[in-house]
Amino acid sequence: MGGEALLFLFAAILSALLLFIMVYFIIMFSDLECDYINPIDLCSKLNQFVLPNYIAHTVLTVLFLLTGKWLSFLFNLPLVIYNVKRYMDNKHMYDATEIFRTLSYDKKESFIKLIFFFISFFLCKLIFY
Amino acid sequence: MQSEKKNPSNQYCCSTLNAVPQNNALLQKSKIPFGLVFAPYKNIGPDEPEVPVVSPEVIVRCKICRAYINPFVTFVDQGTRWKCNICHVVNDLPAFYSWDSKTRQAVDRNTIPELNSSVIEFVATQEYTRGPPQPVVIMFVMDVSFQSIQSGMVATAARTILSTLDSIPNYDNRTKIGFITYDSTLHFYNLNSNLNEPQMLVVSDLEDIFIPAPDDLLVNLSESRSVIESFLNKLGNMHKSTQNVNSALPAALTAANKIIGQIGGKIAIFQSNIPNCGKNALKKREDPSLYNTSKESTLLQPADNWYKEFALDCSRKQICIDTFIFSGQYTDIATLSTLPRFTGGSIYFYPGFDASRAEDANKFSSELSRFLSKKIGLEAVLRIRSTRGVSVKACYGNFFLMASDLVQLPNVNPDNCYALEASIDKDLTSEPYICFQGAILHTSNNGERRIRVFTNIIPVTNNLTEVFANADPRAIAAFTAKKAVERTITDKLEDARNLIINTCIDIMGAYKQAFTSSGQASQLLIIENLALLPVLTQALLKNIAFRRGNIPSDIRSFALSVLYGSPIENALSYIYSKLYAIHILDANTGLPIPNTSQVYMPPRINLSMQRMTQDGIYLLDNSQHIIIWLSRGSNPELVNALFQKPYEAIASGKTTLPTPNNDYATRINNIIEFIRKDRLISYNNSPYVYIVKEDDNTRGWFISHMVEDKLDSELSYPQFLSHLREQVILYKLRDFPSIHHKYSNNYQRRY
Ligand SMILES: [Zn+2]
Repeated sequence: MGGEALLFLFAAILSALLLFIMVYFIIMFSDLECDYINPIDLCSKLNQFVLPNYIAHTVLTVLFLLTGKWLSFLFNLPLVIYNVKRYMDNKHMYDATEIFRTLSYDKKESFIKLIFFFISFFLCKLIFY
Repeated sequence: MQSEKKNPSNQYCCSTLNAVPQNNALLQKSKIPFGLVFAPYKNIGPDEPEVPVVSPEVIVRCKICRAYINPFVTFVDQGTRWKCNICHVVNDLPAFYSWDSKTRQAVDRNTIPELNSSVIEFVATQEYTRGPPQPVVIMFVMDVSFQSIQSGMVATAARTILSTLDSIPNYDNRTKIGFITYDSTLHFYNLNSNLNEPQMLVVSDLEDIFIPAPDDLLVNLSESRSVIESFLNKLGNMHKSTQNVNSALPAALTAANKIIGQIGGKIAIFQSNIPNCGKNALKKREDPSLYNTSKESTLLQPADNWYKEFALDCSRKQICIDTFIFSGQYTDIATLSTLPRFTGGSIYFYPGFDASRAEDANKFSSELSRFLSKKIGLEAVLRIRSTRGVSVKACYGNFFLMASDLVQLPNVNPDNCYALEASIDKDLTSEPYICFQGAILHTSNNGERRIRVFTNIIPVTNNLTEVFANADPRAIAAFTAKKAVERTITDKLEDARNLIINTCIDIMGAYKQAFTSSGQASQLLIIENLALLPVLTQALLKNIAFRRGNIPSDIRSFALSVLYGSPIENALSYIYSKLYAIHILDANTGLPIPNTSQVYMPPRINLSMQRMTQDGIYLLDNSQHIIIWLSRGSNPELVNALFQKPYEAIASGKTTLPTPNNDYATRINNIIEFIRKDRLISYNNSPYVYIVKEDDNTRGWFISHMVEDKLDSELSYPQFLSHLREQVILYKLRDFPSIHHKYSNNYQRRY
């Protein structure tokens, strides 16, 4: 039982971390729109978080799979598939020359991920208590 | 009062809509893309007025949106204040626009250039300058591998640069130049003015590039003139015996960036070979089995991200990259063209260059010489403002977009043209017209900071008929071409083709839906002023950039660059070539028009072989080349007058026409000379003359320009029209997105 609690504690902390990263992304995008940051700096700042973000989320999902937490696993699976697809299409990194064209999509994507990690955080907390 | 103030001429700026719908719903109903194609810094021809340069005491700008005062603002409060036409705020007007304190007289505002001319250049006051203005800096980066030497490229370039030294803008003797040559090693040249002879310094470690004598590699043109001359005299023979076939372009670029990075400037690349050596080398990835498949677009996208990142780094350091490519073999233009694309440069392409052919040498030499001597703007930014309620959605052109309405241009290249896509976010009912204003802050060749401002107004309407009746098919075609190029590079070639055809079908369908009763559906209806839209659409689909067929990716990539960057007139003749019959001339065709630098041109004919006769001689101008078509039955007298030999003895291919002393040849040569001069000024291109004989195997190339005829799998114009007609009848169904998609797939299969 202790192991399971630990797993969900870990999941909650990780979700919170990913949640904060998404908040950071959204703030940066709105900074770009207000001209507070230029596209090159924006992309180099965001890009360093992209892969850690993917990896953290994938590790978490694999942990759920290995421990047989099927519901949690299925909850996270669609996002893993989406991330893998973005990675395979080589569209996971932000490109300074295209950022203004993709901005509305990028914003939406980050916002949906934010909501996802938010729910994920609360679900984990719920189970943990 | 305002009607006499004119918008900038079409070549500076033209809008797809010359009557703007009052709200977004009406715009969506018309289906016409709302775009502006503009070239504010365009080359100015000999018969055109110069842009007025003014230096008022204060440059008057709106206190809220920072727009510049312009001919279309309104004066309020008895003319003591002006109302901004971008944000509608009322601003104070400085006294010097009302009262001239020197002459002690009231000012006639009709004589003030900035209140009357919609394109204007302000000399910037102190507040616009940051440190000393950038001098003209040119770093020549030249491939000296076996192919470059063998083709005579290096010798021709050296000779041309030497003879152009006096014409390079060199105000106040501040201009600096330098040279790097490279094969599998880098060669630097110490051109210190104290030396009698240039010194060559070879660096063979390409991993961690060491710059020897960093202060003497980029030198003052005037001070080091004699060393530079001595260097250029030698350069042609310097690497004569080389057998090296390697070309370390990325390393040479890195070195050039290190040398001029502090001041910024221009890097001119002369490349004969695929960059095949050192870090970030490119591979021969051409794969004909991908032609006509959905994977073809991968060949048109850059292979290595380093080139893009390097270009962005250059853009940040105010460095512009221009690329001259000479190879007859695959050079990966898709990757190399990213260098000029993000730095405001241009790309020049000489496939199979051979300097021993006079035509090749002359073309390259005149383009390089004009490239070095033409006027450019340095370290520039372009800001676009539009009336509140209209916003800039996307920008297209060779630059780096710093913010949604702010463009960074290390050089404002007068050969380049840009486009923006606008959207209507709010109801414009209270506006009689909307306004776009572009301002380029730049350093002029004389070291002055200047602001080139253009202001374009478009009336607003709530009437859909007026929207259609004032749409400009030429602007729509040029705009759609740029957007389709972008689509090809970011998505797929097929997506670009669909964009082109759907733009046309949507507009025609929307027109039909809005204005015809269902009973008269069989006739293809399009409003008269848009009559050119179908033919331009078809021509665009058949352009080498977008058409189906086995087209080498270098050729396609170059065509994409041409469509993306060239000024509107050139882009249009690249899409729909100009064809003239030159075997029957009017009384004054080919003679100079008095008091101008122009000649009387023959009438244009439609691009169809059916419009051509068996005995005709035709001249085709596709903006890149001049092609003369000789029919088998051409009048022997005319052929002899023009070529000084009979039809049978004439060889197809690049030619220099003789200049015999007869009326016919003089007129034809006048026409060709005029096209060449005009092209060199407007687009820095000096077209070859190609002869194509009717019974020769090069005829296919000429025939591929006949866009109204059937070509391979592509439809003829009548077939295309009937296809459009079908699509437009089905248009009503296409309000449902899924059906829309189905029909476009259906179209793909058939087309
Ligand atoms: Zn304003």
